[in-house]
Amino acid sequence: MSLLYGIVTGIIFGFLLQKAHVLRYDKQIGALRLIDMTIVKFMLSAIIVASIGIYTLKDLGLIQLSIKATSLGAQLVGGTLFGIGWGLLGYCPGTAAGALGEGRIDGLWGILGMLCGGALYAAVYPFTKTYIISMGSYGKISLPEIIGINHWVVILILTALYILLFYFFERKNL
Amino acid sequence: MFRQSWSPYLAGAVTGLLLVLSVLISGKFIGASTTFARSASVIEQTVGIDTSVFEYFTTSNGKYGPASLPNWQLMFVVGIIIGAFVASMLSGDFKLQAIPGMWNERFGGNPFKRAVVAFIGGVIALFGARLAGG
Repeated sequence: MSLLYGIVTGIIFGFLLQKAHVLRYDKQIGALRLIDMTIVKFMLSAIIVASIGIYTLKDLGLIQLSIKATSLGAQLVGGTLFGIGWGLLGYCPGTAAGALGEGRIDGLWGILGMLCGGALYAAVYPFTKTYIISMGSYGKISLPEIIGINHWVVILILTALYILLFYFFERKNL
Repeated sequence: MFRQSWSPYLAGAVTGLLLVLSVLISGKFIGASTTFARSASVIEQTVGIDTSVFEYFTTSNGKYGPASLPNWQLMFVVGIIIGAFVASMLSGDFKLQAIPGMWNERFGGNPFKRAVVAFIGGVIALFGARLAGG
């Protein structure tokens, strides 16, 4: 059943990604070059709706969140590497798959590279665990928790900031 | 609706809704990168490499090892390919293309050069994603 949910969710997600044109190299690199914000509009819109929905479910007691642990070492080094790789490839892991579905061959080269990246990560994991993941490790924390305010205040502020950003993008035709 | 492109705001908002429903119904958040690490372990096993020598593939009861597949996220990634294919066929966007337009303008039309950079980018991006836990 879980497999069926997975493929159905994936099909809908791939459909939406394609319809919003976010699977394209030109859009992805356009966002990194700050000349086309299509991807940022898509991502932030998804974040606004999802953060409201997820915290509503949580407050109703319907779900529990399992927050990923914060490690400054892992997230700063990993995030930087991810950015370099994303800039070279022009797709993130999910969109490389979608780009392939749209007929973009370079998505396939990216997927092959990512499989090798996974193998490489597994090979050096004992090193990263000891020297990088252990750096600045804070455990499972969240923004509302560390600031000590209600999560709805954080969501409200972020949503307002994102909408201001959208307004700016539209004014500048980005 | 099926032939035209969608505003990124609308498609993004619907995606947010999809994520909320996915969490509610199947308890799954959207993600893709772990699938590539897990698939690497399956490929290694298939070509006869003993994956149990890698701590990453055995940690947390083999959460990332070859026995973890197939799972929700693998099917999710396969679904993305199908969904993107269907949507691009419906909207007439499907195109076999080796070199994206912006790349061509800057780096020219050599498909081998594009393939090498895309491959290396994939290696680095996935390594970074796994390290960051994304």
